[in-house]
Amino acid sequence: MINMKSWMRQKIENKTRISIPIMTHPGIEMIGKTVQSAVQSGEVHAQAIKKLAEVYPSAATTVIMDLTLEAEAFGCQIEFQENDMPHILGRLVSNADEIENLKVPDLNAGRMQEYLKANKLTVQNGIEKPVLAGVIGPFSLAGRLFDLSEIMMACYIDPDAIMQLLDKCTDFILNYCRELKAIGCSGVVVAEPAAGLLSNEDCQMFSSVYVKRLVDALQDETFIIVLHNCGNTGHCTDAMLYTEAAAYHFGNAIDMVETLKVCPKDKMIMGNVDPVGVMKMMNPTEIKAYIGDLLVKTAEFPNFVLSTGCDLPPHVPAENVKAFFEALDEFNAKIEKK
Amino acid sequence: MNELLVQLLEVVELGKADQKSPFPPQLKGQDGASELTTKALEAGISPQDILENALILAMDKVGKKFAENKIFVPQMLMSARAMGAAMLVLKPFFTSGEIKTKGTLIIGTVKGDLHDIGKNLVAMMVEGSGWKVIDLGVDVSAEKYIKALKENEGAVVALSALLTTTMVNMGQIVADIKTEVPGTVVCVGGAPVNDEFCKKIGADSYSADPQGVVEFLNKLAS
Repeated sequence: MINMKSWMRQKIENKTRISIPIMTHPGIEMIGKTVQSAVQSGEVHAQAIKKLAEVYPSAATTVIMDLTLEAEAFGCQIEFQENDMPHILGRLVSNADEIENLKVPDLNAGRMQEYLKANKLTVQNGIEKPVLAGVIGPFSLAGRLFDLSEIMMACYIDPDAIMQLLDKCTDFILNYCRELKAIGCSGVVVAEPAAGLLSNEDCQMFSSVYVKRLVDALQDETFIIVLHNCGNTGHCTDAMLYTEAAAYHFGNAIDMVETLKVCPKDKMIMGNVDPVGVMKMMNPTEIKAYIGDLLVKTAEFPNFVLSTGCDLPPHVPAENVKAFFEALDEFNAKIEKK
Repeated sequence: MNELLVQLLEVVELGKADQKSPFPPQLKGQDGASELTTKALEAGISPQDILENALILAMDKVGKKFAENKIFVPQMLMSARAMGAAMLVLKPFFTSGEIKTKGTLIIGTVKGDLHDIGKNLVAMMVEGSGWKVIDLGVDVSAEKYIKALKENEGAVVALSALLTTTMVNMGQIVADIKTEVPGTVVCVGGAPVNDEFCKKIGADSYSADPQGVVEFLNKLAS
């Protein structure tokens, strides 16, 4: 069991920078499997993560960011695709009565056990770095059950019903995270992309309050919450910080330097290389220049952790991923010479 | 401007669809877009006037506030909902042709993609700016766009994609559309899309937000 408080402090105090990109598709592709097989089999999932850990020097290991898993457990219909992430079809609940009657599933529902298996195998695979599991956040999950457009309006039309739905979502996520902690994960990335579409006040009311329940119940020296909100353009950073998560993960919509200025210095602040516009579409030379520039701009912030803004999409060239890490190595080499 | 139109503009801008709606709290119990549109018609204000001097103006303000990060997706959706309530009252006048629209937009999320919130926002804002919108939904093939185009001569097409794996479908869809219905104007948008990609696939316009689409279409119509 890694003491994550000490681990984080050491990484922040260290002169050099670390990286924790959110990437799993490169691992799936390296082992010659399909996305569908990885999201349906804990073993395949764990093999992909293990391969990534062997090839790339990320400071921590992340798992597949599958934002359909928890919704499926509640009863949503899912469409699987061979080479892309699954999709949710339709909506599960559409009014207060249906929310009232919605049952919170247990961890045997859907593919939950396969994901727990993937995380357990990853922890047991001898990867000597923190394993950060991935879960969907309460508001984003509620949006998947209720329909994202509809929940945005329902927050204003029937807030009590939506809060009841958020309670149920949080109860489930808490139970899942508790199990992830029990099997040895060092933390969990809580993905709340939908919350980034809200104002700061609404993000706090309909997301942060619920994420804080996870933090208060689970975060300690051995287990951290990393709050991911790639929809935040800088307008709801305050709401994110309200959760008191140990680390915050930002997407490419925000100004990383301005965000670092307003975030606590003892929290890891991660981000925010564009996974599509930079990592997929640029060539290695351009990627190294972009990341080199980002590292120089953020050099005065020792708590900055280089990451991608969101999960890397499928078919990012291997040389592009290599360039990401080479850029970091070159920056660190200059730091160490000083 | 007529007081009823001023009130209608305000309730659409603030997102009050009808009297029953509890939002926004400061207008609780007051007439919403539905009631005020009915009252405006009863007062003899023309449907075209209602559209141009209340609804379109309101949605223009909403679009600009959204582009400036002064309001966010929920407020925009509530305004669009209010506008939709008003448009429902005006529907017979659209059907009869008494209200002239600026043109027709055919919109959909491309084949393989099921995400629709961005597409829905664009559809609402474009309708609110006086265009007829044919929303083909999600997972739309080139054939569906082409069929709708052949049924609506001169329509503009808007393609949306949220995923990098589906945005690659846009290129072929654009090519098929322009082969089958030459001269069609095609707009593209969605999180992974950008202006460079738009040019690469031969589309005519890329917009980063709904207001950008409205402005492009209004320039076309002028």
